[in-house]
Amino acid sequence: MPPRWAMLLRRREILVTAAVIVVVAVSTAAHPYFWSSGNLAFIFADSVVITFLALGESFVMIGRGIDLSVGAIMGLSAIVVGFRIQNDGMTLLPAVLLGAAVGIVLGVGNAVLVGLVRLPPIIATLGTLSVYSGLEFVVTNGNQVDTIPSSITNLGSHTVLPGVPVILLLTLPFVLVSAWVLRYTAFGRSVYAVGDDAEAAYRAGIGVRRVQFLTYVISGLLAGLGGVAFLVYTSGASSTTGINDNLTAIAAAIIGGTALTGGVGGAFGALAGSVFLTVTLTAMSFAHVSDVWQPAGVGVLVLLAVVYDSRSRAGRTRRGTKRRRGTR
Amino acid sequence: MTTLALPRRYRVPAWGACLVLAIIGELIYFTLTTRQFAGHGTGILNLTEQFAPTGVLALGLAMVILTGNIDLSCGASASLAAVIAGTVLSKGGSPALAIVAAIAVSTLFGLFNGLIVAFVGIDSLLVTLATQFIVTSIATSVAGASPPFGFSSAFTLIGQGSVNDVPFALLTFLVIALAVIITVGYTSLGRSLTLIGYNPRAALYSGIAIRGSLTAVFTLGGFMSGVAGVLLAAYYNSAQPQIGTGLLLPAITAVILGGMDIFGGAGRVGEVVLAVLLLGFLSQGMLIAGDSSLSVTMVTGLVLIGALVVKFSFERNLRQRVSARMRRLRPFDQDAHG
Repeated sequence: MPPRWAMLLRRREILVTAAVIVVVAVSTAAHPYFWSSGNLAFIFADSVVITFLALGESFVMIGRGIDLSVGAIMGLSAIVVGFRIQNDGMTLLPAVLLGAAVGIVLGVGNAVLVGLVRLPPIIATLGTLSVYSGLEFVVTNGNQVDTIPSSITNLGSHTVLPGVPVILLLTLPFVLVSAWVLRYTAFGRSVYAVGDDAEAAYRAGIGVRRVQFLTYVISGLLAGLGGVAFLVYTSGASSTTGINDNLTAIAAAIIGGTALTGGVGGAFGALAGSVFLTVTLTAMSFAHVSDVWQPAGVGVLVLLAVVYDSRSRAGRTRRGTKRRRGTR
Repeated sequence: MTTLALPRRYRVPAWGACLVLAIIGELIYFTLTTRQFAGHGTGILNLTEQFAPTGVLALGLAMVILTGNIDLSCGASASLAAVIAGTVLSKGGSPALAIVAAIAVSTLFGLFNGLIVAFVGIDSLLVTLATQFIVTSIATSVAGASPPFGFSSAFTLIGQGSVNDVPFALLTFLVIALAVIITVGYTSLGRSLTLIGYNPRAALYSGIAIRGSLTAVFTLGGFMSGVAGVLLAAYYNSAQPQIGTGLLLPAITAVILGGMDIFGGAGRVGEVVLAVLLLGFLSQGMLIAGDSSLSVTMVTGLVLIGALVVKFSFERNLRQRVSARMRRLRPFDQDAHG
């Protein structure tokens, strides 16, 4: 039996948090400005969008699915909401509701294809990714959102405590609720059951396809909220918003300990993974590594996370592939 | 999951025929509605230059998907190849050297992917997700602030030239397609790939060199990415570091629309070739008719979803009928999900 601290490090969100602290400490030692309120607030605000996407992706991936379209849903929500804010002076609360609604509608699109029509998730969401990206263009019609009132963008730049932007406080409840749903509700437990072994879950009386259906709706909902967060943080949106975030969201979820093979992961992991990604990328630019290498940073982190995780090794994955085949 | 000794998959018998009909239909439609589409009869052939690189990528990807794996890094790898070719040319290297260097680098990169997937045993989706990011960075870094452009005509001929009105790019695509069809259908490597995709455990027990085959298939995929990258650089006469990255999704779409099973073990390369032509003419026709490239993306997505919904419900229906028949023969072995 390994000592208790070693057991703690086996929990991915704790391990990643420790890694965050190490990166922050090293960067602060090299560049004192790293530990400034402004920089920390920037890092947190920067990670919020990916946190929303990775949260939704975690639901889907724990249930042994994959959602390639979260970035497009986020972008579409940002555009739809952004135009309403820009042209009709919509305030924050209706904006959040509208973003959630857009996300749910698009998420239901995925859910119908995977849960009802039973297309393999990777194919279905690849198709909807194309459709939603195209819709982004149709909706913008060549225009872009660029004037978001400061009453909204202040949420991303103003801090409540030194280093903690308002938007982070607004995001945390969603992380907490997601964690509670996954850990303590019957639905959450059945997501894990379905992801771990759909056959066993089916025999245990869980509505496998209903659970899968709901995970895609939740993923859409959270991505829709991510779109509003994107507006708050960047104060603009265009037809290409979110185009690079699909794979980054999956990367953040994987770094946070969610396994592609299903049944493993959690909401805090998604938060820790997103923050870790942002912190590392910021630290890289503090160390004068060219921005060109930022994608490589993401790639190396994903490789490290996967190699570290023995669960994703051969035997397990091959069995996983076969099971995935059975559940489609 | 099924305990019945059933063949696991049933296919739309005439999927290839459906694709051919669709191609003929769209060619007629675009010729009638858009004046510039057909040109002077050779226009249709010239259009293939635009999507031949996507087709080459799709062929490499088709083999990888046949084994039940996936290569998300092939588009980025094509970008890297294009950038390498461009850099060699701009440093004064000969076109032959540029082509060899570009294809060598992306082949080595494919080998690297293959070794990790086969010997470390990590799911290929994760490996290539990660290496895709890394290669993007390398390509951007090699290209530098001002990516090379304006190559000698000896090089651009590969992407723009033609023999008797048949573009080189199309010829390259067809030659590679023929090679892949022969490899997959008529060689022991091809049979191994199919069996690995169909049932890895059975492949292992029948003494197939799984690791070797997987390494080989990813290396071949890297080679195809290299060819695609060279075609791209030659066609656009420039080597932007994002030049091939956007081709990943169209290539996957073509492979899936071509009836390749995303979980491996079933599919015909010939039908993937047809799907490449179908999607290629569709997008070129729409672009010529004045639609934006993002509307094309949207229509492509709708076509993919529509075609697969039809195909899957048809096959499931067929599967259920057969398993119902089997169930009457062996009433105690039931398939949970039908």
